[in-house]
Amino acid sequence: MQPFRYLAILGFGLGLAQAPAYADLSVFTCEAEWASLASELGGDHVRAEAAVSGMQDMHFLQARPSLIAKVRSADLIVCTGAELEVGWLPLLLRQANNPAVQPGNPGFMAASDYVDLLEVPAVIDRSLGDIHPYGNPHIQTDPRNIAKVAAAMAERLQALDPEFADYYAMRHAEFDGRWRAAIDRWTEAAEPLRGTAVVTHHKSWVYMISWLGLREVGTLEPKPGVPPSTSHLATLLGQLEGENVRLIVRSAYENSRGSHWLAERTGVTAEVLPHTVGSVEGTDDLFAMFDVMIERLLANAR
Amino acid sequence: MNWAALDLSIVGPALLAGAIVLSTHVPLGREVLRRGIIFIDLAVAQTAGVGVVAANLMGWDVHGVAAQLAAFGAALGAAFLLTWTESRFEQLQEALIGLLFVLAATGGILLLAGNPRGGEELKDLLVGQILWVDLHTLWPAALISAAVVALWLKGRQWLGRPGFYVLFALSVTISVQLIGIFLVFASLIAPALAVYTFKRFALVVGYGVGLFGYLAGLMLSAQFDLPTGAIIVWAVVALAIVTAAYAPASWRR
Repeated sequence: MQPFRYLAILGFGLGLAQAPAYADLSVFTCEAEWASLASELGGDHVRAEAAVSGMQDMHFLQARPSLIAKVRSADLIVCTGAELEVGWLPLLLRQANNPAVQPGNPGFMAASDYVDLLEVPAVIDRSLGDIHPYGNPHIQTDPRNIAKVAAAMAERLQALDPEFADYYAMRHAEFDGRWRAAIDRWTEAAEPLRGTAVVTHHKSWVYMISWLGLREVGTLEPKPGVPPSTSHLATLLGQLEGENVRLIVRSAYENSRGSHWLAERTGVTAEVLPHTVGSVEGTDDLFAMFDVMIERLLANAR
Repeated sequence: MNWAALDLSIVGPALLAGAIVLSTHVPLGREVLRRGIIFIDLAVAQTAGVGVVAANLMGWDVHGVAAQLAAFGAALGAAFLLTWTESRFEQLQEALIGLLFVLAATGGILLLAGNPRGGEELKDLLVGQILWVDLHTLWPAALISAAVVALWLKGRQWLGRPGFYVLFALSVTISVQLIGIFLVFASLIAPALAVYTFKRFALVVGYGVGLFGYLAGLMLSAQFDLPTGAIIVWAVVALAIVTAAYAPASWRR
């Protein structure tokens, strides 16, 4: 990292210097939750960065040169996989041309390989919408999945940086203890929510819903990836009669108009839940993300 | 932010793609300005997009040769339609181009109702991302562009009006997929506008404005971590304005 002298040529004359951040492993992740997890597990020995911030839609990515450079210098890439990033990750990997982090090598990790995926379709039919053939990839909304990915990621860090293997094992054991205690705490706090009916924007909450025993009675998108249409919302409104829906859930990057339309007509609260770290205020790490998720569910859905 | 982001192997393919697009668009852009049909590339690009959507609906691979032919076929159809309208209703040409644009854009939406994948493909086609350019896919584009430039610079008289529209349809269909519609529009109009009053060096300066604009945009994108296509548009237009304002009087008409 050095100042950019050629900026002066362009007339900006701004040499921006950045202090070098020393770390053994450079971890580049697709989504913010995996970068946060890598920092938890890697401590001072890992520098982790995410391609998509908590506020952005992980289905799409604006190409920037820095992203290619980061993948090129990365020791480990962690993405959700299951085709969630199919629109941009293959292109990014190709342009970066870093053999160590191509899928199939120890430097590439797909988190979805380590959890049981829900909604694996029996038949693939594109006309049914943006269906992911390997199952629903939005795995990070169930903290038990995070625990499984953490174990796999700790193994990867140890394999890639054997000199500090003990350090990573120690950090993982410590994280795992705190995480399991937190899962118990969240599960217990959310016990009154069991059976609560919710409507979601996109099918991106199925793991949270299955974990907490909620009931998804409809989605705002007529098919995954298709924006809510007026006719679908009207049909949905009819379907919801008689259902005691308590909450309309969406992610921070999703357009609020559909949920507000439905909220206005049903009197049900529309709420943004944190789908990842940094997606809403006060979700700076994974613990805070689930704290806020449970807090918001309890505040609205009881 | 780091030096690595300016690595030639990262921004090199993008610069090359820019050079290929500029090679056809600077001369064609001057013709577009001369005829006063500025929005023609938006209309032709949208029509090419509808061709891809139709190919998609027929179950063809959107990245395959068949879809490319469908895109070019649709663009060519638009080109011939516009040739005919220009001879028939010359005064109304720009208005008709505008209508063709909205018809193609909304036609795509209608064809795609309820098909998110197709929507992504259409979006890919219209907002191709310049940084994702693959060197291997640049070869056909480079060859076709070279042929277009040679034909246009040597045989303009012989090609006449239909020839212009055919070459234009071909260039736009290729370029839009490489670098996206915003950059294509900027590459077509900004350099040509910069040298609009020139009587000497017009083509050379036009190419210079385009190339240095792309280079500056790529550097700014690497330095400030900004979306590449968008910042190149701003750099090319800024350079075009400076050129138009400060070019020596002896170069002008």
